[in-house]
Amino acid sequence: MLPTMVDEPHRPDPEALLALARREGRGRLKVFLGAAPGVGKTYEMLAGARRRHAGGADVLIGIVETHGRAETQAAVGGLPVLPRARFTYRGQELEEFDLDAALARRPGILLLDELAHTNTPGSRHPKRWQDVEELREAGVEVWTTMNVQHLESLSEAVARITGVRVTETVPDRVLAEADAVELIDIPPAELIERMRQGRIYRPDQASRALRGFFREGNLTALREMALRRTAERVDADVTGYMRANAIAGPWPAGDRVMALVGADAAAETVVREARRIADALKAPLVAIHVEQPSTAAGPDPGPALLLAERLGATTETVVATDLPSAILREAAARNVSHLVIGRGRPGFWRRLTGRTLSAILLRRATDFTLHLVPMPVAGPRREHQEPRTLPRWIGWAATLLLVVGAIALGYALDGMLSEGALGMVYLVPVVAAAAGFGPAQAGLAAVLCFLAWNYLFLSPRYTLTVASPQEVVGIVVFALVALLLAGTTGGLGRSVRATRARIVGLRRLVEFSRRLGAPGDRGDLVQAVAEEASRIVGGVVCVLLPLLPAPGETAPEPVVRAAVPIDAEPDEAAMAAARWAMANNRAAGRGTDTLPAASWQFRPMRTARGLAGLLGIRREDGAEPLEGEADRALGALLDQAAIALERAELMEERARGEARAETEALRTALLTSLGHDLRTPLTSIRGAIGTLRGAGSALSEATRADLLATAEEETERLSRWIANILDIVRIENRQLHPKRETVDLAEAAEAAAVRATREHGREVALDLDAQAVAHLDPVLLDQILANLLDNALKFSRPAGRVSLRAWRDGPEVAIAVEDDGPGIPREDLHRVFDPFFRATRTDRVAAGSGLGLAICRGLAQAMGGRIAAESPVTADGRGARLTVRFPGL
Amino acid sequence: MSELAPPRILVIDDEPQIHRFLGPALEAAGFTPIRAETGVAGLRLAAERSPAAILLDLGLPDMDGKLLIPRVRGFTAAPIVILSAREQEAEKVAALDAGADDYVEKPFALGELLARLRALLRRAGAAAVEPADAVLRAGPLEVDLAARVARLSGGEPLKLTPREWDLLVALMRGGQGRVITQRQLLLAVWGPAHAEDTQYLRVYVGHLRQKLGGAAYLIRTEPGVGYRFGECTDQA
Repeated sequence: MLPTMVDEPHRPDPEALLALARREGRGRLKVFLGAAPGVGKTYEMLAGARRRHAGGADVLIGIVETHGRAETQAAVGGLPVLPRARFTYRGQELEEFDLDAALARRPGILLLDELAHTNTPGSRHPKRWQDVEELREAGVEVWTTMNVQHLESLSEAVARITGVRVTETVPDRVLAEADAVELIDIPPAELIERMRQGRIYRPDQASRALRGFFREGNLTALREMALRRTAERVDADVTGYMRANAIAGPWPAGDRVMALVGADAAAETVVREARRIADALKAPLVAIHVEQPSTAAGPDPGPALLLAERLGATTETVVATDLPSAILREAAARNVSHLVIGRGRPGFWRRLTGRTLSAILLRRATDFTLHLVPMPVAGPRREHQEPRTLPRWIGWAATLLLVVGAIALGYALDGMLSEGALGMVYLVPVVAAAAGFGPAQAGLAAVLCFLAWNYLFLSPRYTLTVASPQEVVGIVVFALVALLLAGTTGGLGRSVRATRARIVGLRRLVEFSRRLGAPGDRGDLVQAVAEEASRIVGGVVCVLLPLLPAPGETAPEPVVRAAVPIDAEPDEAAMAAARWAMANNRAAGRGTDTLPAASWQFRPMRTARGLAGLLGIRREDGAEPLEGEADRALGALLDQAAIALERAELMEERARGEARAETEALRTALLTSLGHDLRTPLTSIRGAIGTLRGAGSALSEATRADLLATAEEETERLSRWIANILDIVRIENRQLHPKRETVDLAEAAEAAAVRATREHGREVALDLDAQAVAHLDPVLLDQILANLLDNALKFSRPAGRVSLRAWRDGPEVAIAVEDDGPGIPREDLHRVFDPFFRATRTDRVAAGSGLGLAICRGLAQAMGGRIAAESPVTADGRGARLTVRFPGL
Repeated sequence: MSELAPPRILVIDDEPQIHRFLGPALEAAGFTPIRAETGVAGLRLAAERSPAAILLDLGLPDMDGKLLIPRVRGFTAAPIVILSAREQEAEKVAALDAGADDYVEKPFALGELLARLRALLRRAGAAAVEPADAVLRAGPLEVDLAARVARLSGGEPLKLTPREWDLLVALMRGGQGRVITQRQLLLAVWGPAHAEDTQYLRVYVGHLRQKLGGAAYLIRTEPGVGYRFGECTDQA
């Protein structure tokens, strides 16, 4: 039995499987890792590539730096080389690796020397490792070289050992995600020997290097780092394999490392150190920043948090007033076992009282292993200026004025109040200075007030000496009260200011979300987003939405849909960044890792379904990068905008879907009608004729006549049906062209009634007004009337009453047809004019095609009229009235 | 079979025009038509008047014609002919599976309907007289069930695999003068596990037609529905 800490049955770890799956489809990455320049990384890479080339692989050299070394030059051999891109940047002719050419060429294996290389300005990505990422995303296998000192998490340690700070770094995850790492290792003595022989650098350079970086001690330390890193990687590979394949092993479970990212210069060192500890423990790392609303903002912890993310940590920012308690609470909640904090530079007072963070944690964090990280060797001291609306001297001047005012007031009240009470007057400027300007000004006010009080009012007056012990006590109390007031009031003033700023921000967010929530089309929406973003950023912004790719294109094209000011538009170079951002759903342009030379920055509005659009930002050249509150506000804005845009899109989609469903319903109804209304008469006609022909002689005269009548009637029914279908098609396709003339409605109604009477053998009651004259097509009007009368006669009892009324109604003329049949159910009233709607045939009447009323409506509308149905109309709840109205003459 | 009284034919259809010509036509052909315009009336008349055959329209105003079939089958074995529209493919098959015997498509030729009707009545009468034939015949084909031998025009016995034999017998028994659905054939020959494997059926029917040679016309395909077996007797 293996000793195991896993108490579940051995299932493959989903995360490990996911990591494996993520690798699939991406191009492989092979890293030739060395301890120092000159160990032979490039040579080994070329040798391996030549073997693969000889084996038939499609190998292409993207960039290989031979540094003039003859051996390396020879190793290139016959391998094909990708021409470098040449371009001009600020008047200089520059050469760089041609990423687009490599992507277009799609080699099997691409050799790209020096992973840590910084690209020349104007390239798409600032760093070569980012080129590599893009190549791998595109499925290209990349081989590359790198020295261990360029690894992000080691740069601090390397600086400590060698005294040289490496600026070109590669995030640890790049190496961690590499599919293969080959360690190129030679003993330091041999490397130094090579160096002496001038096989690495030219002789003059070599001697300088040997005295500096290439000391044996340095090389040994670097070599150890490289070996260790490789060993850790092998270990990680094995663990990953074991987890993916659910092999139980004795790996430790439960260790978690939490780095406390403070707002000080040590933050980045803390993160790096925590990464190392986490790596050694094989434990997950979480970096946490506690924002204290009561303290003045220190340096932005953003860069340190970003670094932590690059080093593979999860990051979090929490807001709390009590720092140690917050840390302990978060650590306990996350099941953390190791806490990493910076030693920091606590003030003398705190050190004296034992109120430093490390001291408090030492006392209280009994459940955790505590790591204290020293301050960086030569960390650049960041001066942070709190943004102020007024120049500083105004605070000081105002404090002085306050003190002078207090002195004047003291003189005015002299004699009326006791010396002690006058002291109270002097507290006023202290409080005012503390609340209005800050602790320093309050301190000055306290000292000045004390001196003035002592000198001017305390006996003996006009000296600074103190006479009685009573007054000594008074002075001490004054000093304590003044100091206390200065501290707390100052703190209060700051939190009030911070809270006010926050409330303003929140109110803006609420107002904006209300604007987004308001119904409107996408145009209004993007305009609102642009305006709000401009307010936050304080610069030129635009909103770009994706235009679906045209046939033959693969990527969506970003199109500017709103801008503030209205004519702002990114130039062509910036549009390249926008296109990249849209295709990759990531930020691009100025201030990002992709195409930083562009004048605009583009940030994606992401939704769960993908990209909703881009926000383009252009700021003044000298403007500070967006930080803190503004950056967070912009992030929130982008999220909200993305959701709102997605919602608008979904609503448009639904509207389109509904329209489609309506067309579909009409088509289905037409098909059903064809099936029934066409087939039934045809069956009757064919059957009647068949019977007559087959058994004509055996049939009685009456039967024969009836069969012939059947055939005749059904033929008529068919013709009517076909005419109706043609009418509805013409109406639906708007191919109706009324030929208008002046029509007397009474005359037209009478003619229609006479014909209906002839056809149905029933009387139609008439009530006609001679004033009803309109400009209409008489043929179409007649068709409407015939349809309405036909309907009414069909749906009423044979003895029932059908009436036709025409009258003038204000500016309109109206014709109403009324019957006393069963009426129309309330729920069907609005549907009777839909094509193919049929009344339920409760009365066993041969219902029509369900087109009559639809045609009436279509014809009426074509002539500028309208039609309405009412039911019931009689006192006993029966009957229906259909009224057509037209503009009168 | 019909010396005593003309066989009654129940027509269930909601269109009065259909009754108007079917009535005289059936009478002229020697039947007594019974008229029903709703499903409920049809069910009642089928029970009261015990018709020899039923003509049924699937689109009734008060109930689905398909649901009527099992209820009618509860008390009578009289042949049921569906009057259906061409596009109601699924309806048609479902009705046949539910127990209907044949169908005609509207607008149908009267002669065809009458021929189908006569074939069904003949078969129903024959089944009542002799329940199990030892030898089945159709055109030139003669099948001796006892000896498991099939001959064409008295020639050499056909070489049939057991499956082909089963299929042939199922077709001859069930499909003489009526339609037999794919599902019914699959159930009879392959069993319930393969009731949906119409591909089998197509392949075996193909084999069978090949072996029947000149008598292949006996197996007629009803597209989308099934097969019909026997001489072509019904075209008017």
